Amino acid sequence: MMVREITYADAIREAMSQRMRADDDVFILGEDIGIYGGAFGVTNGMIEEFGPERVRITPISEAAISGCAVGAAMMGMRPILEIQFSDFVMIAMDNIVNQAAKMRYMFGGKAQVPTVIRLPGGSGAGFAAQHSQSLEAWMAHVPGLIVVQPSNAYDAKGLMKTAINNNNPVLFYEHKLLYNSKGDVPEEEYEIPLGVAEVKREGTDLTVVATGVMVHRTLEAAKELEKEGISIEVIDPRTLVPLDTETIIESIKKTNRALVVYEAVERGGYGAEIASMIGESDAFDFLDAPVSRLGGVATPIPYNPKLEKAAVPQVENIIAKVKSVMNK
Amino acid sequence: MAEKVVMPKLGATMEEGTIDSWLVDVGEEIEEGDPIVEIQTDKITMEVEAEADGVLLKKLYEAGDTIPVQQVIAYIGEAGENVDDLVDDASSVDKTEAVTPDAKVDTPAEVTATGAGDSDTTEIRRTPIARRLAAENNIDLREITGSGPLGRIQKVDVENAIAQNKQKITPLAKKMAVDQQVDTTSITGSGAYGKIVKDDIIAANRPKEVAAADERVAFKGIRKVIADRISDSYYSAPHVTLHSEIDMTECVKLRKQLLPIIEEAEGVRVSYNEIIVKATAFSLRQNPNINISLENEKEIVYHSDIHIGFAVAVPDGLVVPVLRNVDQKGLGILTKEAKTIAKKARDGMLTPDEMQGSTFTISNLGMFAVDGFTPIINQPNAAILGVGRIQEKPVIINGQVEARSMMTLSLSFDHRIIDGAPAAQFLTDLKNVLEQPYKLMV
Amino acid sequence: MANYTSEQKINMLYDMMLIRGFEETVEKLFQDGKIHGTMHLCIGQEATAVGACAALTREDKITSNHRGHGHSIAKGTEVKGMMAELLGKETGYCKGKGGSMHIADLNVGNLGANGIVAAGLPLGTGAALASKMKNEGYVVLCFFGDGSTNEGAFHEALNLASVWDLPMVFFCENNLYGMSGSIKEMVNVEHISERAKAYGIPGVTINGNDVLEVAKTTEEAVARARKGEGPTLIEAETYRWRGHSRSDARKYRSRDEEKDWRKNRDPIARFKLQLIEENVLTEEKFAELEERMEKDLAEAVQFAEESPEPSLDTLTADIYA
Repeated sequence: MMVREITYADAIREAMSQRMRADDDVFILGEDIGIYGGAFGVTNGMIEEFGPERVRITPISEAAISGCAVGAAMMGMRPILEIQFSDFVMIAMDNIVNQAAKMRYMFGGKAQVPTVIRLPGGSGAGFAAQHSQSLEAWMAHVPGLIVVQPSNAYDAKGLMKTAINNNNPVLFYEHKLLYNSKGDVPEEEYEIPLGVAEVKREGTDLTVVATGVMVHRTLEAAKELEKEGISIEVIDPRTLVPLDTETIIESIKKTNRALVVYEAVERGGYGAEIASMIGESDAFDFLDAPVSRLGGVATPIPYNPKLEKAAVPQVENIIAKVKSVMNK
Repeated sequence: MAEKVVMPKLGATMEEGTIDSWLVDVGEEIEEGDPIVEIQTDKITMEVEAEADGVLLKKLYEAGDTIPVQQVIAYIGEAGENVDDLVDDASSVDKTEAVTPDAKVDTPAEVTATGAGDSDTTEIRRTPIARRLAAENNIDLREITGSGPLGRIQKVDVENAIAQNKQKITPLAKKMAVDQQVDTTSITGSGAYGKIVKDDIIAANRPKEVAAADERVAFKGIRKVIADRISDSYYSAPHVTLHSEIDMTECVKLRKQLLPIIEEAEGVRVSYNEIIVKATAFSLRQNPNINISLENEKEIVYHSDIHIGFAVAVPDGLVVPVLRNVDQKGLGILTKEAKTIAKKARDGMLTPDEMQGSTFTISNLGMFAVDGFTPIINQPNAAILGVGRIQEKPVIINGQVEARSMMTLSLSFDHRIIDGAPAAQFLTDLKNVLEQPYKLMV
Repeated sequence: MANYTSEQKINMLYDMMLIRGFEETVEKLFQDGKIHGTMHLCIGQEATAVGACAALTREDKITSNHRGHGHSIAKGTEVKGMMAELLGKETGYCKGKGGSMHIADLNVGNLGANGIVAAGLPLGTGAALASKMKNEGYVVLCFFGDGSTNEGAFHEALNLASVWDLPMVFFCENNLYGMSGSIKEMVNVEHISERAKAYGIPGVTINGNDVLEVAKTTEEAVARARKGEGPTLIEAETYRWRGHSRSDARKYRSRDEEKDWRKNRDPIARFKLQLIEENVLTEEKFAELEERMEKDLAEAVQFAEESPEPSLDTLTADIYA
């Protein structure tokens, strides 16, 4: 396989483009995704290759375009909907939660909704309260939706292909801070299965389950902690629904300690779900410390850079939390 | 209403006790606090005291009976009170509880299978893995002190307990141990990696007098206290010890002259010890930066008084009585006080007050064939003076070899709060005053 | 514009009769405690459903709303499966998991009723987009009520369909009330069809109780859509005879008003009279139709009642494809 170093944004674009070349039913719609290239440049150059029919620039109408994606999916297309900022998905909630997620079930298995809804999320870019949220837990709560959250370019590309080929509505959480992060990515298409976590770093003293940009912060924390003789294992679930519980449980059986790190507000975040899953699992009998969470402060994301940083876990917070779980 | 007298639970692991003897007869009047019955556990014998005034109404068991803890063994109440109803209740409890101790005599395998080993430990704060490990290894969590938050027992604590408890034993040895009722917990295995083998069981089962046994004494009481204090001091305070050889010739002369005077005044014989104590107090007054202590690692205290502790060997260890305000006392009074308190120390009659409050300590080994040594600081003091024997040695004075009475002083100090130079200054000053003891008069 | 044959007209009449018969039957079953939950009956609105669907082919699609029984029957969904669904049976169109508000039958282009007001419109734009992109030629007709036209989704969907020239018909059944809210108090335009102007598409207001007028108007809109000229907004004025749902005391409107619509503007009576006048129908023929309808519905009820309940292990089936 031909492997190059490309960015997370490039990886997503490449996966979409490759799918669009291979499958005429795949198309993308969204606001400013044409010559503008999308708010984060993810669709740069796509309209030039695929034309305005398959790279459909929409009015600023999340309620309509989300329903449009669902309706088209229902009728056999495989639309990719780019929601400019994940925060704007609120306006599309009805179509995702009441329509896409339930259609198959409430129609007795007679419909399917193969659509990917791309959601650039997360804080750290100075966009303040309405453009920086991490609300993936809302989606993960709804039966009928698949929720993925790739943390690097390789995973993003593989999961994008999987998402497009999946016959269900897939919420694809991208992170603004990761778009320019580079990684080794094969040129060819490949899929990463849903529900398969990856151990991003092996360790012996404590298992950290981290999602999205927190995977990187945790890996950085791991390097520091190693200098102090604390060895942490870092697991990235990669897909929240379905969740690979087995990899997490097996790791904790080995390390006896668990910490879940996530950017979303700690209270009611998806990390809370992971934590309670651990508590109820076989891993319970192997725990040597309470299962702990480290999430964002319960506050809207502030604008001021110092405050913004303080609102979500940073490397030093992760180090401190790991030590506290380790009773050190 | 009659008061119950129950078999007390005297330790975390005590499950039953045996009545040694009743100290009171039925009908006899008792006051609160009176001993009623003597009981015996696997560890101790002790008296159970009445918790109420009254008359011993009924004894439920006789001497020699073994009864589970918390079980009622007698009633105290008003004369003539009928306790038969209560007795029925107590004995019905007896039936259910009587089963419990027997059920406890499980084989390790059964404990693991049923988790019964854990049934009494639910109130112990422990992590799930600690509980699991303990159950799997038949470790009693009640015997473990937790090192985690809030004293929680963690995996590492159980692992340590397992390491201590773990006994490897061959199947044959195990069978022999069971058959011959040999307690294997006290046996150290002679096989590979300490495994208990057949010969170990045979050796253990030999009559005691045949075995040339070492004497084993519990590490507890004053020995344990001394040990803790010594190691605390040794491991917390970085010790530096300075040695200095003192010419005691003048002191020897001084003592000779003072001996009859003090003996007449106070009825005691002055020794070099008191002279050194007095000289030390004098030098401490000159060097207040030595008469200090570190409190809770937070504050350095500069003491205004000079109280000197001096180590006294006693049969089971060492005590340090304290002489107070040494700098303000004459040698006569000082000698009398020192002799008195040393005797009390040897007789084990010291009160805690008499052992507290020293600001400096002296350890004198001059009565032995010891020249110098490195004493360990008696915290919270910041320094201690070690005193060696006085010995005549050839010394060159003004180019001439002379026989002089020489003695080595060793000053150990806590280098966290005393620097080298002030310590050296103090020792130098002390040397000067001992070599020219008339300075004490100034 | 096609002129309907006698047979087509009789079929339209029959469908209208079947819709009313179905609604009256399920109303009775509800009162008898055989149907639970709630239902929204379309008695009085039979001409809009039948007229609009008369203009559609089997391949064309509809999206519907909470008051959707009529739309389903008009589009060709069988009453047996609908009845079974209302009784929550395994043989229902949705295996007993959808109920009244979610009956869908993709085989006849019925993309489903919907419990969310105006939700069918954005979905319809997607179906229409699929038709266009896949070049399949079908048209999507969205049924919705007057109340929906105050939802953002209505406006966004009309705009999107307009700018993309989607093959769609937006069919508003204006029955004067959104639940209890009189449309006169809820919008400040005289006709809902005027709202089309804002999106650059044609809008027309018609008599929704005249099935042939509905059919003809819809046919024009469908033709326009099929030609790629974009969507049309049709406002068909009609009246629901019953309350909004099963728990509506109808305090917000007068009994005189209800009586007027029932006595003087009954779409079935009107069409029957018209067909008799045209000599397409006789009273005897009508009686035959009634008999057939009753038989069809009796069979549907029997089928539904005799059908098994879904098993508990289907609880989590069909959540994901």
